[in-house]
Amino acid sequence: MGAMIKDSTTLEILVQLNKRFDKDSLPEMIELQKEFAVFSSKRSLQQAFALLGIVPTDWSERRRWYKFLDHLKKYPSDLPKINGHDRVIKAFRDGLAAEKPIPISIKCHSAAEDPRVTVEKGRPVVFTIETHLIVSIPTTPGREVRKQVAEIVRKRRAAKKK
Amino acid sequence: MTSGLGRVDMGARLGDAEVQRVYSDVEAYYGARVAKYGATPRGVDWSCQATQSLRFVQLLRICDFAAPFALNDIGCGYGALCAFLDLRYPDSRVDYLGVDLSRAMISRARRRFRRTDRRFAVGRASPRPADYSVASGVMNVNVGYSRAVWEDFIAAVLQDMRRTSRRGFSVNFMSDVVAASEAPDNSPETRLYRTSPERWIPYCENALGCSVETLENYGMREFTLLVRCRQNLAKDLPLRH
Repeated sequence: MGAMIKDSTTLEILVQLNKRFDKDSLPEMIELQKEFAVFSSKRSLQQAFALLGIVPTDWSERRRWYKFLDHLKKYPSDLPKINGHDRVIKAFRDGLAAEKPIPISIKCHSAAEDPRVTVEKGRPVVFTIETHLIVSIPTTPGREVRKQVAEIVRKRRAAKKK
Repeated sequence: MTSGLGRVDMGARLGDAEVQRVYSDVEAYYGARVAKYGATPRGVDWSCQATQSLRFVQLLRICDFAAPFALNDIGCGYGALCAFLDLRYPDSRVDYLGVDLSRAMISRARRRFRRTDRRFAVGRASPRPADYSVASGVMNVNVGYSRAVWEDFIAAVLQDMRRTSRRGFSVNFMSDVVAASEAPDNSPETRLYRTSPERWIPYCENALGCSVETLENYGMREFTLLVRCRQNLAKDLPLRH
């Protein structure tokens, strides 16, 4: 997200995810998890989301989306020794297998403020009264990343000249 | 006005020409879908592979996998059930025949599965009797007909499945959000055909002479009917192509 995929793709994916795991669709996702263990340590997030059809409609963005999901392995999480990728899988797996499952919501937060993938319970939007399991992905806006990269390149060039 | 229920209870009444028109429109609809989305779940109107597979799990509950059997897959699309069978039941011996109205779908299916026990045919009904038949979602998208005509079409499909199944068949339907009796005939909302088990169980029991088991609680807004034949008609009745 951010630098890796387009903003419009990010929004589209968030809508898809939040629709598939909302209160109305939850029973379906619980059954799918029971039957096929969609979220498990044996399956990558890329495979799980491909199975669920949670992919950008723009074909050119699909590879980037899958790359981003793999890239989550490099992110830290709010649990020790668990990377961001595995933390997302664990959140979905545990959430769907809970005794009383609650809707799952995905959102983004500023990577500058917290570089970890976090999971907590709460209300993801003001207009909902339902408690959700909120999975939050650290994100750096594409514009900022491009700025940072440009700065690095500029410094390298300056160093070479010296 | 005659209700759809009344029509089907008296037996399917669509004339051959009208039936042919419905089948032709269904063929055109799915031909366009596969042209747009390719050999993917969306190409056959399912949201994703996982939900498509969950439907297969329910439909295949009609089959006894302890022994080899022959299976007809009506409205097989691009043959997704073949891949599911290989994955889920790798050791079972299933003589599979996929049947679909759409030449485009069958063409893709043949390219995907080149095995002697995986065959495909273009048509509205199976050209052969089998132990079991399944049909996933073939009755869901009403391609622009009144509810009554669409239900006659469904009855014709069920009759074909009954005639070509020795032991039983299974079908799925979308559950009615609004009660079927409240849905106005010919309204645009009836494009997706929704119904209740009570609508089709009596038909399968009385008109087709079968016993019916209903599967409902598998997380989806739909249900599956497992229809077991009380007697084997497939050996006696002529087959329609």
